Order: sequence, then C-alpha cells, then structure tokens
Amino acid sequence: MAAALLLSPLSASAKADNATPPERTPLFNAESFMLDNGMQVVVIPNHRIPVVTHMVWYYTGGADEPRGKTGVAHLMEHMMFKGSSNVPTGEFSTRVKTLGGQDNAFTSLDFTAYFQSVPARHLETVMRMEADRMQSLLMPEDHVISERDVVIQERKQVTENNPRAHFAEHLNTAAFINHPYGRPVIGWMQEIKNINRGDLMDFHDKHYAPNNAILVVSGDITAEQLKALATEIYGAIPPKEIAQRDWTDIPVVVGDVEMHHSDPRIRQNSVMKIARAPSFRQDKTAALSLQLLETILSDGSNSRLYKSLVVDQKIASNVSMSYNGSTWEDGKIWLSATPNDGFTNKQATDALMYELNKISQNGVTDTELSEAKTRLTESAIFARDSLSGPAMIVGRALITGSSLDDVEYWAYDLNNITAQDLQNTAERYLNENNNPFVTGHLSPAIVKEEDQVQ
Amino acid sequence: MMKIHFLLFTFLLLSFTACDDAQDANTDIISHEGILDIQEIKTKSGITIWLVEDHSLPIIAMNFAFKGAGAALDPADKQGLSQLASNTFDEGAGDYSSEDFQKTLNDNSISIRFVSNRDYFGGQFKTLTKHKDLAAELLHLALTEPRFEPEAVDRMRNANISRIKHSLSKPQWVAARFLNDVAYEGHPYAQNSGGTVSTLGNITPEDLHQFAKTRLSREDLHIGIMGDISAAQASAMIDNIFGALPETQDLKETASLQLQNPGKTILYEMDNPQTIIQISQQGIAKTDPDYYAAIVMNYILGGSGFGSRLMEEVREKRGLSYGIYTYLGHMDSINTLQLSTSTQNENVAQTLGIIAEEWQKMSDAPITEKELQDAQAYLVGSLPLSLTSTDKISGLLLNMQMDKLPISYLDDRSAKIEAVTTEDVSAVSQNLLNLDNAVTILVGKPSAINEDVVIKKDIPNAE
Repeated sequence: MAAALLLSPLSASAKADNATPPERTPLFNAESFMLDNGMQVVVIPNHRIPVVTHMVWYYTGGADEPRGKTGVAHLMEHMMFKGSSNVPTGEFSTRVKTLGGQDNAFTSLDFTAYFQSVPARHLETVMRMEADRMQSLLMPEDHVISERDVVIQERKQVTENNPRAHFAEHLNTAAFINHPYGRPVIGWMQEIKNINRGDLMDFHDKHYAPNNAILVVSGDITAEQLKALATEIYGAIPPKEIAQRDWTDIPVVVGDVEMHHSDPRIRQNSVMKIARAPSFRQDKTAALSLQLLETILSDGSNSRLYKSLVVDQKIASNVSMSYNGSTWEDGKIWLSATPNDGFTNKQATDALMYELNKISQNGVTDTELSEAKTRLTESAIFARDSLSGPAMIVGRALITGSSLDDVEYWAYDLNNITAQDLQNTAERYLNENNNPFVTGHLSPAIVKEEDQVQ
Repeated sequence: MMKIHFLLFTFLLLSFTACDDAQDANTDIISHEGILDIQEIKTKSGITIWLVEDHSLPIIAMNFAFKGAGAALDPADKQGLSQLASNTFDEGAGDYSSEDFQKTLNDNSISIRFVSNRDYFGGQFKTLTKHKDLAAELLHLALTEPRFEPEAVDRMRNANISRIKHSLSKPQWVAARFLNDVAYEGHPYAQNSGGTVSTLGNITPEDLHQFAKTRLSREDLHIGIMGDISAAQASAMIDNIFGALPETQDLKETASLQLQNPGKTILYEMDNPQTIIQISQQGIAKTDPDYYAAIVMNYILGGSGFGSRLMEEVREKRGLSYGIYTYLGHMDSINTLQLSTSTQNENVAQTLGIIAEEWQKMSDAPITEKELQDAQAYLVGSLPLSLTSTDKISGLLLNMQMDKLPISYLDDRSAKIEAVTTEDVSAVSQNLLNLDNAVTILVGKPSAINEDVVIKKDIPNAE
C-alpha cells in the first residue's frame, strides 16, 4: 500500500523536479481516521527500521489557562509523569527506557504533546500507558509541590539566567495585548508559585479527553494494525464535553511600542522586532507567502537580508527574519539584528526595514521565487528522512487547525503561490505602517569605571 | 538480537554496478553483514570508506574527518584558527566566488558543513542523489582550492566575535571556559577552540591557506557514507573529492593529559538567580576492558536522565534542579567523567552534598540487580533509535572509525553490555569515582559554600 510509494525514490525526485509543473503527490502518505469517541488517529508508515514514534497531542496549552493561573498547562505536563492508575509515580519514563525507548513531552500556548519512540513491538505497551494517564491521574500532593519547585528551577535556568530570553518574554507580551498568547508558556514566577493540586486536577478534567486529542504514530506500522490497537485502547475511553476556546481579542494598537533593556551580563547591542501575522489556519495564502518570503529574505548567505546588511553594507554581524504560522490564532514574525561596532540598533533596523519595504514596493523576481520554491520543495524530501520528524510536522499542523491535506500537498500549494501574493503579503504584514511591530533594544549596562575610562 | 537489514541484496547490486563501471575493478570491498550491512571499501587512492547502502530515499549523507588535524594544533595567539577555517572553506573556491558557491549549494539543496573540534577537522555533506556529482565537485574545490578572500574572512571573524560576546552572557558557556582552563592547564586543550576576541583578530587569510595546505591528508582521513549510492559510485566519488590531497602531513601529536588541579573548586560570580555546577574527573577509554561496566555505572549514576540516582535525589525528591546529568567524555588526550546541573543560589551547598553522597554510595555499595537489568535493557534496546536517519548513520560510521572500533562493534556491543555484572560495576566505580580528584566549577552567586573555593575574576580565553 502506501509504503511502496513512500519508499520509492522515483516518486520523490519526480515531485522535486521543478522544471515540470509539480504533481499533486502526497509527502508522507499518512492516513487519518476517527474513533467513535471522537479521537482522531493518524498513521505515517515508514518501514526503514523496526521502530515507531507514538504521539498524543492535546488541543490545550498555556492559552487555555484560567486568568491568573499561568503555568498550569506546563506543570500539568510535568505531572503526567507522576503516576496514573496502572503506572506508579515516577515510573513512566523508566518503563519506556527499559523497553529500549525514549520519551518526552512539550507544552506550547496552543497544545500539549507527549511522545515515545520505541521498538515497534512495544507500541502497544506505550499506548496503554499513555491512555492510562489520559483518564486517571494520581497527582500526589507532595509531588505537586516538588515538581512545582522543579518548574521554578526550570524558569530560572531557561528564562531568568538568560537576559535575552527574559527580555523577549516581555516583548511578546506587548505584541499580544489582552490576548493569552502574550503569556509565557512556563508561566509568570509569582503565578507558578501559587499553583495547587486543585488547579491541576481541574485542568486535567476539562481538557484531557480522547475527543480533545490527536494520536499520531509514525514508523514501522500499517494503518490496519494501528486501527485495531487504537480502537481497543483509546477507543475505550469515554469522551468529555469540551468547552469552546474563549480567547479575548487584541485591540487596535495605538502608538509605537519600543522597549529598552540594559543588563550588565550583555556585552553587545542587539535589536529584535515582533509583529503578528496570520496563521495557516487563518489565511493559508498569506502563510505560504510568508514562508517563501522568509526563504528569500533570510535563508542562508545569499538571502536578501544577509547580503545587504552583512556582506554589502557591513552594518550587522547577523540578521534574520523568521515566521511561525503553526498556531491556532495569530502567528508571529520575528526580526533580529546584531549591529557591528560603530553602528547603532537604529541603523541596523532601518537597513532591515528598508529591505522589507523594497519587497512591498517592488516585489520579488521570478527567479528568486522559483529558487525559493525549489528549495522548500526539496526540503520536504529531507523531512522524510527521520522517524519522529514527520509525526512532529503532522501533529503540529493538525493540532493548530490545518488539515492533513495541507501537510501532504504543502509543496504543491506552495508552487501555486505567485509573485503578486508575495508582494501583497509583504505590503500587508511586513510594512510597519500596516502592521505594528514591537521593537526591543538590548544593550550592555554602562558600568561606572568603564564610563570613566572612555 | 534484532537485525536491521537495510539491503538484502547487497552483493547482487554490487556486482551489477561493478560491471557497469568497469573502471572500478580495483575497488576492494569487504562487506560486513550485521545490524548494519557495513561495506568497507578501499578506494584507488587508498582511502578507506565505511558505507551502508540504502535506496529507500534519494538522499546521500557523508561524514568525513581528518584525525589529529583539529584545534589542538592552533597556536595560542591564533586560537580559533580551525574554527575560522571551518567557517570559510565554503566561502568561495576555484572559479566560484563566495556568492556563487553559496548560491549553488542553496539552489541545489546541497548541504556542506565543516566542523572542527580539538581532535579533528572534518565535515558533513548531504545531498539529493540527483545532485551528487555537483555536490562532490563543490566539496572537492572547497578542500583543494579554497579562496579565503579577505572580505569573507573578515565577515566570519566578525560573526565569531559577535558569537563570543553573545556567549559571555551565558553561564554554561562561561563555566566551560573555566573548566577547560583549570582541568587542562598547560595543555593545548585549555585553549578556546572557538577562538577569543583578540586571537581571532590575529588570523590572516594566509594562515587559512597554510591550514588548508598543511593539515589535510589522505592518511588521516576517515569516511562514513549512508544512503542512495553504490560501493563503486562511492569509491569514485571519494577519490574525486579527496584523491588530490597529499598522502601524509607532518602533524604534531598532542600529548596525553592527566586532569590538572584535582580537588579544586573555582567560583566565578555572575549575578544570576541560579548557579551552574560543572564537575570533571578522570574517565575511561572506549577501548578499556572495563568500558562497558563504566557505561552501565554512568547510566545508573546520572547518564539516563529520568530514573538515574542523581535525577531521583536532586530533582524528583527535592525539586532542587530542572536536570542533572553525568556523561563519559572521550578525547584523544584524555577521558573524563563529567557532571552538569544548575540550582538556585541558596541550594548549591546542598546539591554539592548530594552529588558527593551519590559518588560515595556508588563506590561503597553494589548496584541492585534491577538497576543492572534496567540499564542493560535500555543500552541494548535503544540502539535502533540511533539509526533513524541517513546522517545519524553516516555519523555513526565515521565515529566508529575515529574511535578505532572494529566493524563488528554494533553486533558485539549488546553481548558485552549484557555480560556486565553488579561486581563489574562495583569494581569500575571503586577505580574510577573520586571527587577528591575532580575539578568543580561554579558560575553564579552561591550562598554559604563550605568548600575551599578559589574565586576568579576574569573569564579565561574569551576576550
């Protein structure tokens, strides 16, 4: 079945060949079906080696937390490793390891996902363990307290020990005024400290259910085999009534937002700019255009930004534009630059914005567009060269509201985007007059002695 | 034992390709059938390749390394030379300007990446099958006719200096500077292989040309290839890329090294909420008969992450840290056992105390049968997870040769791990674990430290 196609090198190279119009062939040959209780199941067969990656994605994350309770979704993810009816506290990961497997989990604002990569013969075991913690969490009180301490350490290690990450957290808040996307996923310190067992149990009750989750399995398995297992194991879990997401809207932003932060730990100036942009779910044409713009502007040393700011003008030592549209609501555009000695943040940002505006005014060349399309199309072939990669891509797309076809025919859809689409998108979302950017300046703190020396 | 057969008809396919390319009559192939069907190929110019053929995706990955040609040879006043070479070999070569070279790579989805570390200079090359000849030609040109134009060298120097300034705010990076400086004092390993702000400024395009002329030889070259390519094609491709390099180079051998300043604890104060803790002590060679007992011991002590004794005591029971890990490090001149963690400043003394207790416990009392079995089950059972992509396998094939492991290593490995007993682990723990001979680095603002701490003010080998 699908496997033969997936493994055939011919189908891949035919698709990658840009000289002929791209065929509408699927990338992963994934199959999707629904269980009776409303749980979506996706299988991505790949028989290169006898291993599988098993993932469960929940339609819930930091943005679904009650007001004043930031950090609950992420601490919830930690507590999923602290025992359920049939898996004693602290044994989840060690059991996976004795199967020769690896496991982990991650939380975002939109979703929470759990995964194990194991030899294929152990798939059923990890499915039963995952299903167990979907429906029956122990959440021992003493472990809530120690794990909350762990998260406090995590926040200190990942965010507060890193001045750049700490500052970016605040910039993000300004880009998403009055919207839960303005929160840090890990939570604000003072709110993490107040999370209790009741908050976590409520969150699990409200959001952890088969009809609020997607199962994705990639690797050495067929749809038929997975269907039987999933029906027996996850199909037995009763669905719950899931409340609609109730997220507040972002008001029209008045005034230019510019933030400054100096820190003695910082040794050089740098600047970041953030703006909102449509997600794939909200506007696919704009999202695909932004991916192509990202490639043209910022992929490699022949990209427009690197060539202009780093090679030709020598204003900056590095510069980048990136776009993330795999979100339920608004995605994000990130710009950043580190000016060279003798140049200011303003000179770097002016040069950067000049390149963006050039595209809104004059568009891109046909050659640039077709080269960007070829590069992205060929990157899809490399994406198949992985066990867990395809499951990550498919899971993340579906959980943020894209369809399986959006993933399978991504390269085909990308090739239908026109130079005009790119110009329109640049004018709408990369032009500061039409889409407000939040700007952040990070600089070294001036120490007194150094002041005198200068 | 699980068998992973990537290609059942290796011999059949080989004989076909060999007939097609009659020129390859000299190609000498030894095929090893096991977990991976590794073919050892000797090319006409005398280069040895380990190849695993897999035609399920149109992708070829190749990892290569010149052993002994790495940053340990960089002069003290030109630290970062190897690193800068790795950044500039792909900035124009032969008739290709920097821009043309990069554009050709980009437009054809070819990835050529150079890497340097203390012990070797090498790289990774990944391409779609249809672009393999172009990819090989580009790599050949980069290695034999690199341009090292002043513009590109300056630009890459600049990027490195910016990277260093950026890293100065990262406490883990700062801790690593101290660890190298103290534990490897007096040895080339003490230098910063990424260069320093001032030494990078001393490196000229001429130094880089000298690097290209004097460091790379076929004798020191090791190669791992995985993917959509036959043995005959691989052999021809490798000769095209590397065949013109000198057969040998006169490289200075790096002296072997014992861990320096044993027992010292160094503190660098940084105004952070957490203190980074890095500890290093003498380790064990991969070729040592006790090596397999040591990897079991390390797994149980702190190597496994969740489930390890240290993770259990420090994170799970007490919530002192987000993570604590130990690992066995292997370099040409020294083997180490290292620990890294971070904890809030008030809890540093307590965390260090737990680490000392666990070190002691591991040497004093035997591990349990269950601990042994769980460790063995993971170490044996997880092997297939390290074989899930083309470049993971090409990297593994290279590393096996760099570590001088036999071609049957993957097949023998399971039996050797399964043969380890609790007594073996006790014996290796008693021989190996000794915090009195370790170097401890603290970066942060720890309160109430009992130990004899040497406070340092300047970050070594950075500015």
